[in-house]
Amino acid sequence: MHPALVVFGYGLITALATGLGALPFAFLRSVSPKAVACANAIAAGLMLGASFGLVAESTQHGAWQTIVGATVGVVSILIAQRVLGRHDVEFGRARGAGAQRMLLMIVVMTAHSFSEGVAVGVSFGGGATLAVVITAAIAVHNIPEGLAISAVLRPRGTSVLGCAGWSIFSSLPQPLMAVPAFLLVEAFSAVLPYGIGFAAGAMVFMVLVELLPEAYGHARKPVVALQVSLTLIAMVLFQQYL
Amino acid sequence: MDPTLTVLLYSSLAAGTAALGAFPFVFRERLPITQIGWANALAAGMMLGASYSLLVTGLDRQVVRGAVGAALGILFVYWTHAASKTEDLDLNRLDESEPVYGYQVLLVNTLHSAAEGIAIGVAMIVSIPFGVFVAGAIAVHNIPEATILCAILTGRGVRVRDAGGLAVAANVSQVLLAVVTFTVISAAPSMLPWALGFAVGALIYLVMSELLPESYQQAGSTTIALVTLAAMGVVALLQGVGG
Repeated sequence: MHPALVVFGYGLITALATGLGALPFAFLRSVSPKAVACANAIAAGLMLGASFGLVAESTQHGAWQTIVGATVGVVSILIAQRVLGRHDVEFGRARGAGAQRMLLMIVVMTAHSFSEGVAVGVSFGGGATLAVVITAAIAVHNIPEGLAISAVLRPRGTSVLGCAGWSIFSSLPQPLMAVPAFLLVEAFSAVLPYGIGFAAGAMVFMVLVELLPEAYGHARKPVVALQVSLTLIAMVLFQQYL
Repeated sequence: MDPTLTVLLYSSLAAGTAALGAFPFVFRERLPITQIGWANALAAGMMLGASYSLLVTGLDRQVVRGAVGAALGILFVYWTHAASKTEDLDLNRLDESEPVYGYQVLLVNTLHSAAEGIAIGVAMIVSIPFGVFVAGAIAVHNIPEATILCAILTGRGVRVRDAGGLAVAANVSQVLLAVVTFTVISAAPSMLPWALGFAVGALIYLVMSELLPESYQQAGSTTIALVTLAAMGVVALLQGVGG
């Protein structure tokens, strides 16, 4: 088999793993504002933890490139927000602000997968022996990302299968980006810090502008703060060991 | 200079910068509520940047111990809030309410600074330049925090001079904890990963429970997010460039 196909196959496996993040929500039925707030807080912790890890890795390749990428990430989300705000968006059963938040979440997480795909491809360039290890690591990384997406979609009425579907969708850029990155390692490894910066900037901005304000609006401060900070630490620990 | 004296010097400077927070009140009696929101976001961003820097240094060490330390730091601050019945307190009330409110806010600020003191002390152990960097970030972030405290105190009839003094006094716990943390960890270096984690957890919890929640009611969430992210980015960038 052509090595590029192998990389694509591995990338696809990591994308499918994202769907597993929807599983814990099979048992969640309540859609009270409080449940939305808690889910937001957990998604916020997961995304902040992921961004901390990404930036720590990316600044080793170049701090300035990371900042440039992050700025572009933030501006992109601002534009996406404006565009979505002008239309009366619908998403499944949700409308208005809720639907807008769900769509933005999918946009942010999908955009952030591009740089992960590049990371997969570039690291495959280092030799196929590490392939399985890297794939397993990225696949496991993706599960909490699916969890974050499902935490935003599920309390607003998306089915568990729908959550899994959108989680996998958000990771599809991974196999798609892994192949060109693998074939053109040199070129893509230069772009990597910009891409990681973009992903981190977009995620942190999404947390600060959408997830946290809504969480504080519907749950007590100490509850939100506990969930965000404990999830953040758990995410950093999780990423460090896998 | 003896390293303990260096810690004392820089943590004192960090506490002292709080006096600058009273400066706006020399010229005007009140600050618009949106500016209080920006001050909150600015302080939150720099504090997140400082906890990011500490966290990154911790990743080179025993991560599990760091994570346990972080959980302890989070639970400790949560408990101090709950035990002092300040966990649901609105920290930015500028109206005339019962006098006890001023004391509660001073208490919350003192506990807040204590956690920052631990952060400075731990960072000084990692290396003196890194400690100076963290002390600098905390010092700058003390200014907007003190501005908010002064807005509350001057609104209650405290003179500007005294409000500035009280803002510094609320930060004295920072100096104390910085020196104690530095001395204790110097004597028992194996405690470093735990202490590093404790500082990270406490700082993040403080941002999430004290600084960010109020800010979203004072200014638009886009402004708050941008100010927080910019402040955080500057601190993280300085750390990244400085290595």
